[in-house]
Amino acid sequence: MLYAERAAAAIGLPLDPARKAAVAQQLGVMLTAAALVLEFPLPDEVEAAPVFEP
Amino acid sequence: MTPPPSPGALAELDAVGTAEAVRARRLGARDAVEAALARIAERNSALNCFTAVLADTARRDAEAVDARVARGEDPGPLAGVPFAVKNLFDVKGLTTLAGSRIHASRPPAVRDAAAVAALRRAGAVLVGALNMDEYAFGFTTENSHYGPTRNPHDRERVAGGSSGGSGAAVGAGLVPLTLGSDTNGSIRVPASLCGVFGLKPTYGRVSRGGTALFAGSFDHVGPLARSARDLAAAFDALQGLDAADPVASRRPAEPCGPELSRGIARLRFAVADGHFARGGEPGALAAVGTVAEALGARDTVTIPEAHRARAAAMIITAAEGAQLHLPDLRTRPDEFDPLTRDRFLAGALLPAAAYVAAQRFRAWYRARVAELFEGVDVILAPTTPYPAPRIGQERITVAGAEVPMRPTLGLYTQPLSFIGLPVITVPLARSSGLPLGVQLVGAPFREAFLLRAAHYLESAGVVAAPIA
Repeated sequence: MLYAERAAAAIGLPLDPARKAAVAQQLGVMLTAAALVLEFPLPDEVEAAPVFEP
Repeated sequence: MTPPPSPGALAELDAVGTAEAVRARRLGARDAVEAALARIAERNSALNCFTAVLADTARRDAEAVDARVARGEDPGPLAGVPFAVKNLFDVKGLTTLAGSRIHASRPPAVRDAAAVAALRRAGAVLVGALNMDEYAFGFTTENSHYGPTRNPHDRERVAGGSSGGSGAAVGAGLVPLTLGSDTNGSIRVPASLCGVFGLKPTYGRVSRGGTALFAGSFDHVGPLARSARDLAAAFDALQGLDAADPVASRRPAEPCGPELSRGIARLRFAVADGHFARGGEPGALAAVGTVAEALGARDTVTIPEAHRARAAAMIITAAEGAQLHLPDLRTRPDEFDPLTRDRFLAGALLPAAAYVAAQRFRAWYRARVAELFEGVDVILAPTTPYPAPRIGQERITVAGAEVPMRPTLGLYTQPLSFIGLPVITVPLARSSGLPLGVQLVGAPFREAFLLRAAHYLESAGVVAAPIA
């Protein structure tokens, strides 16, 4: 919740107090997904292709 | 002289069948369009597929097709085919809603989206715009502003999304051809739930020029129809470079229609295991087995880290979608659909580390999957883990676990669109009455392989899209 509040403030995004819990819950789902990605070891040479060719 | 088709026969005609009849002067384009408008008038109020019906311009455009035929000119490969598009495609003179209330106050589009223009050049006649999830951020088309689109197989059930109007309009036979967009499954999910064919082309193969983007890293546009040959005809009309789309491929167009009759000889098939064999209803996995048997697919293949690919797709989608709508999220959050708002707000708050890692993971994963295609041409996977759930349903029990109904619809589609692979979903009728799709997945730019396989399955009677 604290992260959501601070991150929202940092980008000038007002968060309705009535909505904070629901947004934090959705953010929690996304951060769980993010953890799955962040924990995966990638070689340094793998870059996010600036031009993506499938 | 062959007599003109009856109204019933007209409804059954697919797009290619309609165009053949118009080109052979057995059917007027005006009659084909009038019949589609009559079907829409009869059934749309119950299904809620259309957000705009363009009856006057459709009649005028159809008459222009008939005039070309009368003058002996080539009216195009899709002559007189009534079609409709998800309301995120620009249509000249119509406000592009993208499923939102916020965009409803914007001025009308000044020109057609590239894909709309391409189909019109091919002789097809636009009859309207179709309902969708707000800003394409959903898999069910339970749109709070414009109402849910209802599944033609059971009106108490969702049509799938986000191109729900596109799936239901084809499934109900209102029009033989629609366009949708697919970022995480938004063509394939409604095609599966509504029992129709859907093609998500290779990323960059079909221009997104003039469409409302969602997550540009893997936004695609493509057709939904009731036959494989219709997908091929539409895809062939849609291929081509477009300066308005920064990711449009420079590869020359590769017409697929002429490839259909080649059958499946020398195509190598394999069934995806691991992630794609877990988490679905037995019926969804059985559907894959049915298709595998018909194609003689005995091998399996493991797409590595597919669950992580789905997670990375979720991060990129939420971050890019939220950034796109950040000005409105700041100033008018109450005007968003309650079903998208909190996810957009949360997406705006994701740390940059997660987004960049997801994009780097994407490059790694793309390379691993490319290696798999050295040994296989078409990979089979379920499209959705279950058939159409009820409108308003929050959770569903599948494979012994209770999961959130809406996001789980993308379980099997997200890891594939994430790296831009071409995919066709083919429809299987089932004894329960609710259809399900199976994905045919190819290497980039190998749409022809998928269309050949889909056409073969259709010819063998394994897959079909009868009007619901």
